[in-house]
Amino acid sequence: MYYFIGESIFTFNSGTEISQAKRARLFNDNGVPAKIVTRNYSRYLDRDRAALDVKQEELVNMYDFFQGTTAVPRQEQNLRLLKQIPKDTYHIVSHGPNYSTIELASRELARIDVLPATVGLVDKITYYDRFGNTTSRENYDWRGFKSSIDYFHPNGELAYQQFLNLAGEPVLEIAHMNINGKLSPTMWRLLNYKGHNFRFNTENQLFVFFLNELVAGDDAATLISDRRSLDAVVADVQHVQHRYAYLHELHTPDVTSIRGGRLYNFNRDLFVNRAADFDAVLVPTAKQAADIHADYPQLHVMTAPDTYVPKALQAKPVVNLRERQRHQLVYLGRLAKEKHVDELVHVLSLVRQTVPDATLELRGYYQSEELKQSLSDVISKAKLEDAVTIADYATGDKLAADYDAGAVFVQSSDSEGYGLGMFEALSHGLPVVTTNVPYGPAMQIQDGRNGFLLRPNDRQAFAARVSQLLQDDQLWQTMSSQAKASVQTHDEAKALAQWQHVLAGAATVKQ
Amino acid sequence: MIFFINSIMPKQKSGIEHAELKRLELFRANNTPAMFAIRDWDPSLHTNANNAGIKDEELVSMFDYFQEARFVPQKTVHMSDIEYGVLGAHADEEADKQRYLILSGSGQLVARVNYVTDEDKRVRSIEWFDGYNNLYRVDVYDARGFVSLSQWYTPDNKIGTETWRTPSGRVVLETYNRDDVKGKRQKSGWRLMDTDGQVYQFDTIDELTVHFLNRLSDDYWSEQTPNIFILDRGHVADWGLNVLKKPAYTVMHLHNAHTADAQNPDEPVLNNNYEYPLYAVDGYDAVVSATHKQTADVIKRFKPRARMFTIPVGVVPNRLLSAPRVPVSDREFGKMVVFARLAPEKHLDDLVRAIGIVHQQIPQVSLDMYGYADATDNYSARRAVQAVIKEYQLEDAVHLHDYTTEIDKVENNAMFYGLTSIMEGFNLAIMEAISHGLIGLTYDVNYGPNEIIEDGVNGNVVPYGDYKALAARMIAILQDKQLQQQYSTSAYDSAERYSEANVWQAWQALIDDADAGWSKKLAAYPLSTVEGD
Repeated sequence: MYYFIGESIFTFNSGTEISQAKRARLFNDNGVPAKIVTRNYSRYLDRDRAALDVKQEELVNMYDFFQGTTAVPRQEQNLRLLKQIPKDTYHIVSHGPNYSTIELASRELARIDVLPATVGLVDKITYYDRFGNTTSRENYDWRGFKSSIDYFHPNGELAYQQFLNLAGEPVLEIAHMNINGKLSPTMWRLLNYKGHNFRFNTENQLFVFFLNELVAGDDAATLISDRRSLDAVVADVQHVQHRYAYLHELHTPDVTSIRGGRLYNFNRDLFVNRAADFDAVLVPTAKQAADIHADYPQLHVMTAPDTYVPKALQAKPVVNLRERQRHQLVYLGRLAKEKHVDELVHVLSLVRQTVPDATLELRGYYQSEELKQSLSDVISKAKLEDAVTIADYATGDKLAADYDAGAVFVQSSDSEGYGLGMFEALSHGLPVVTTNVPYGPAMQIQDGRNGFLLRPNDRQAFAARVSQLLQDDQLWQTMSSQAKASVQTHDEAKALAQWQHVLAGAATVKQ
Repeated sequence: MIFFINSIMPKQKSGIEHAELKRLELFRANNTPAMFAIRDWDPSLHTNANNAGIKDEELVSMFDYFQEARFVPQKTVHMSDIEYGVLGAHADEEADKQRYLILSGSGQLVARVNYVTDEDKRVRSIEWFDGYNNLYRVDVYDARGFVSLSQWYTPDNKIGTETWRTPSGRVVLETYNRDDVKGKRQKSGWRLMDTDGQVYQFDTIDELTVHFLNRLSDDYWSEQTPNIFILDRGHVADWGLNVLKKPAYTVMHLHNAHTADAQNPDEPVLNNNYEYPLYAVDGYDAVVSATHKQTADVIKRFKPRARMFTIPVGVVPNRLLSAPRVPVSDREFGKMVVFARLAPEKHLDDLVRAIGIVHQQIPQVSLDMYGYADATDNYSARRAVQAVIKEYQLEDAVHLHDYTTEIDKVENNAMFYGLTSIMEGFNLAIMEAISHGLIGLTYDVNYGPNEIIEDGVNGNVVPYGDYKALAARMIAILQDKQLQQQYSTSAYDSAERYSEANVWQAWQALIDDADAGWSKKLAAYPLSTVEGD
């Protein structure tokens, strides 16, 4: 079994999770058993994994594992049908679509929040004391069962959490106490697991324990660490056949002087401290593999695909230009500082000098509130409120519709380990205009064929290329065809073969 | 079902618990099921109750009920049975503190295990420390061997949340300690995950208690006969019994004088314990007092609509009533005994004064006092007694003993029983004394002593506070052999008032009253309820 180790599948995912999910799809659809294994507690995991087309049996979360709830099917739990509320004693009073309260003689005893984007399904119940303090909170899983209870300190901060099995018995608890005067989780205690109690000072210690339990009895366990925060954990797991780490991003912040560049601190476990524990470091591009190998000759670095074109998309014809918004630029990806989406706004300003009705859609989730504010400032300063749309993070068909509706995919990042958004744009026949930064752009874009590669910090040139694509139908048509063609060979079969080659080859090296 | 409601059933019992235990025996002997409903949490409740002769099926404590722990086999948990969850855990004993320190292989303090020395070092509680040396939780074990209560600590080392669990570990009851607006930390609420899975919130433990009584009412519901709730400690449910959901037969039991000054039944200020229940007396179906005198006083003053029953709280067993009588001549001349806590309200220094006076004239007199010293006001009662012993030089005549169970042996050898209390609710000891043929000498004290002792019949009742009169009567009796025997014989005879048959008859009258009114009560209560899905 292959285990892809991650922190979580989130409501808003980065390329790391999307890549993991596609890999799991690839492996399992082709008879290579693989599971995504996540550490973080998430009550929405079942919803979020479905959004990434991950099947329940392809995913195992640590908390679910100990709670005995990995295979629980979803059963919608309407808050008014909760068996635990004695309706002959209390009133359930609705306050609109988001929450209701439990009341006795018009006094609010508790508040029931509704699961986001559902009608009346229970998300959590928060209980109050007679002084109005929040005392405890019952958290329901997306699948409709009571999953955990939070208790609070008198000052309102989290005091401890208990995670429950389906019988309502606590199987795991986390205490929150002070470390050097600051409230933090200080104790993970596993209760009555196989008849024994275990305690851990950190969540990662528990994660190691869990992974050891998970792979016990699997003689062919191979772990792939997808998050740098978990490399040390993966290195600590015993009795595994092979350990790999997949690097989805650049290893150094020094994008202009990669050779000899500094190492990101979070890469130290993989590159230095625990390097010997890994069979190989996997990267999406050969260039990055070579760069790493040059600076870290002791590491075994190999190339493995970060993504591929699924069969269905491969067979889907490119949407006709007439059916697209002819002057729409699109960017899909995290709205993060290093992605420089503000630069795309400036580009749009320039483009509109020649194409006045050009618009830009930015789809993704903000990495921070500050970024949201500063981007909004940039847009209003450029007076482009009506021309720039910021759309919520999306997956699946909704996302595909964006690629099929736009005219040009634009990207102005500092770096791209591979560039999943760019790849998907190409697979929808969308020409790409991007800064030529390590590593993905140069690998995916042949300048002038399926898009344009531009020097960073040359806004005029960037805008000129975009304008050209917006105005020249013939050029667009050619580039679109080549865009689609350029990724057609990166299909499931090829990706699988590459992975099999890598995993077999790395195994050989190790022996 | 008939419930005896109390907050506690401790190892060291007061008159209320003794009265209840005697009542249980009587009910058993008359094939009438009854059980204790105990309100407060006590990890040793079952040990203490079982030792007092209460069977598990005769006991339902509120916490046990919700913790699903009424019937749990006894298991002794030792330090070595606990899983500390770390590698290389080892223990360092601190015998002077009755605990073990549990250290991990790397020397980190993981837990402190507190044990009960005289119970085979069974684990009493465990203080748990996190990886950063914070005490984050204390688990308290039930004596039967499971974690009953967990107290979760705050970063400033106070108890925040407290949770109670089933023996299987499911949390079923929680309470929270929070500051009120004035900054005073108190219990700010309770949350119950009831046995049927429903979640209830209560502001106070009294509201929770009502819910508990309602559950009992449901569980033991019968259309043939009402549940009877006998309230032996008012604060537990005097309000609660007035707000029960379903009809029941509720009984408020007086165990003490009902006025602040027991000697004055017209005293405006009531005994605080009985103020609410007497002002709200018609909320109950019946009131029980142990003496005719108190019953008369209550009726005269409160004119309750609730039925009044006089039912002695003591029962003289048939074993004693049919035991061979010990003639006075076979007893130790001049020996007086008393069984009482050395407590201020017992005023035993007066009794010693009386003995002191008698001793000056009849040096053979002696007084044996059996009972624990009450620590109130730094053992002021014992110090007062000792001062009088010294004053009258009674070191050889008056002896203080611990409480003893060898009552027959002690009382069959003595002549007198003395009582100089400030107030009484009944006084089981003086009833036991007459059943052993002891001559009673008592102040005219409400309620009990001045009814159990009939002046000039089985002893003498002297004016309240007049220890000189008490001494004078003792001297007179000691000087009159015929009178001695006459009083002793009458004492034996007068104990018949408290025979099992007589006391049961009084209870039977109450039960009959409950049954007689049941159909009316039922008729007034809408019985059909619609069950939701």
